[in-house]
Amino acid sequence: MKKTPRFLFALFLAKIALITQRILKMNASYFPGKLAITLCPDFLGRIDKPETIIGVTGTNGKTTCCNLIIDALTDLGYDVLNNRFGSNINAGVASSLISGSTLFGKAKKEIAVFEIDERSSVRIYPYVKPTFLLCTNLFRDSIRRNAHSEYILDIISKYVPETTKLVLNADDLVSSRIAPGNERVYFGIERMETDLPESINIVNDMRLCPVCNSELKYDFVRYHHIGRAHCPNCSFSSPKPDYLAKADFENLTLTMTRGLESTQFKLINDSIFNAYNLTAVVALLEQFGIEAKKLSDILSNQKIVETRFSEEKIGDIEVISNMAKGQNPIACSCVFDYVKRAEGTKEVILLLDDVHDNAASSENICWIYDADFEFLGDESIKRIIIGGVRAIDYKVRLEIAGVDESKIICIDKESDTPDAVRWDADKIYVLHELYRNDEALAVRDEIKRRLRERTGGNA
Amino acid sequence: MTVEFLYPALANLYGEAVEMKYIEQCLPDATVVKTKVNDEPYFAKNDVDFIYMGPMTERGQEIVIEKLSPYKERIIELIEAGKVFLIIGNALEIFGDYIETDEGEKIKALGIFGTYAKRKMMKRYNSLYFGKFDEMKIVGFKAQFSHSYGESEDEGLFENIRGDGLHPGSRFEGIRRNNFFATYLLGPLLILNPDFTKYLLSLLGIENAALPCENDIRTAYEKRLKEFENPNKEYLG
Ligand SMILES: [Zn+2]
Repeated sequence: MKKTPRFLFALFLAKIALITQRILKMNASYFPGKLAITLCPDFLGRIDKPETIIGVTGTNGKTTCCNLIIDALTDLGYDVLNNRFGSNINAGVASSLISGSTLFGKAKKEIAVFEIDERSSVRIYPYVKPTFLLCTNLFRDSIRRNAHSEYILDIISKYVPETTKLVLNADDLVSSRIAPGNERVYFGIERMETDLPESINIVNDMRLCPVCNSELKYDFVRYHHIGRAHCPNCSFSSPKPDYLAKADFENLTLTMTRGLESTQFKLINDSIFNAYNLTAVVALLEQFGIEAKKLSDILSNQKIVETRFSEEKIGDIEVISNMAKGQNPIACSCVFDYVKRAEGTKEVILLLDDVHDNAASSENICWIYDADFEFLGDESIKRIIIGGVRAIDYKVRLEIAGVDESKIICIDKESDTPDAVRWDADKIYVLHELYRNDEALAVRDEIKRRLRERTGGNA
Repeated sequence: MTVEFLYPALANLYGEAVEMKYIEQCLPDATVVKTKVNDEPYFAKNDVDFIYMGPMTERGQEIVIEKLSPYKERIIELIEAGKVFLIIGNALEIFGDYIETDEGEKIKALGIFGTYAKRKMMKRYNSLYFGKFDEMKIVGFKAQFSHSYGESEDEGLFENIRGDGLHPGSRFEGIRRNNFFATYLLGPLLILNPDFTKYLLSLLGIENAALPCENDIRTAYEKRLKEFENPNKEYLG
């Protein structure tokens, strides 16, 4: 597309906005792009793009994967344009491209890594054509925005450029079906001891064969529709992975095999999601042209962002905070499952209310009925303390899940939840919604403070 | 008592799998039949008291229309006989005349009611809903791609107090004929509205039964009612 005067004008103003916001120490990752697109609707098409674009999309894990890819490439000496600190919709991608371009719209960098919101496919892919697109997985997500996983599958399939090479999850029968005409490789994780013969989750969006509607037969289920399945009635089945990883949670290693070559990676914890993220990133970077063995050291040094997960033992009690994206039933179910499986007894604090809705409207809570609150009924969980306006809704949900009413405590104000902690379990979990970080971390820190007081010192 | 869940493997979006679970908790003595997509519906050859079907994908709607079409007359017979139906979300559209897609294609539906639906796949509609069923106040959520039109006013289910009904501008939400109840409202409806649930159970011959976790459900209902009655709360969005 040509660089029209209108485009150059939009770019010029967006650059000024970018510089001004930076001088004012404001987050410049959304507005400049928004401004540019408002002034020149096909701005994304007219600005020059780096030669290689790596896109990362999917319901869960895309931020982590993006960070891993950017860090690995940076460590290897590449100068990578990215939207990691910004928005993952069209305005965010535009802001990133603006910051990476000259005043005349020439790209200053050769590689870009963009996290791309699934629904924004419509507004991004017609202009920004990824060389590679990694899709981590597709699940039910926000009911209001994303409706259902097949809807998102159809959107990505419709808009992803034909030339984009896809890196897909072979163990996910939804996202592995993206754009069947595109060139692709699959990654997967070998069968594990903890795999199940059938789904125990409330939600499994791949119960039926997409070809003949027969009930699929699962060879194994890992969580929700993640696993491997085949149709007993036709030839439909999970695709064969090109990159197969073996996760060993006892020794915290991940061994990746492609053809005859095997490479070992260190895992930072025993979370299956982390193992999938690492597998996906290795597959993607190999496709980009970096051998797995070169990645082993680099990717083994990854860190988890503290606002998403933290743990600290004070005296005999461990305090753990874990983000559990509200409105995202799968992410919540997985966190609940993780808490259930953890060793020892637990007290759990839930801070999941939607911040915006509480103030302006009344939160649509039907998503909590897609999440497996049943896992919190485990006998290792002695108490569930729910903070926030919607506490009573969570209580009802837990009761329907069969959780003993006497274990549930509702508290209107999030910051009052530490008052209900009884300090009689091995672990205290603070499970919180993404946009409640500050409040949640304040609750966590208050719990730690009281715990230090109880243990009598600065333990 | 026999309850049939139609195609739960497919018609379970937006929290409705637990609505089914809650129905089972409300009716502990009932025989529950969960019909598979490729099987003949149980109601085709057997007596049922209560039929439930939840929301599904757009592709799912087409599958279900195809599966239920051979049983249209039987469904009409059951509705006339006063059997209880609870049809949630876009499952409602299956009982109308047709569903019109973005491309203008008209997918023929069962044609039991004279309504028709129009889909706009890039325009998701989200709202709160507040209405009346006799003297009962009804609360619910809407999250959908389509609206239904062509309704007949004497078959409206809930009278709007605030929020849009079957379509923006309509006076009613949902469709009712005898004991056939269909509504776009999500919630799940029976968990959000204890009085309506009791009413539904009374139609099944269960009078004045205590609901599972009724106290807390009622507290949650009263709290939500207050919020929905607050004129400062945004409905759309
Ligand atoms: Zn099949």
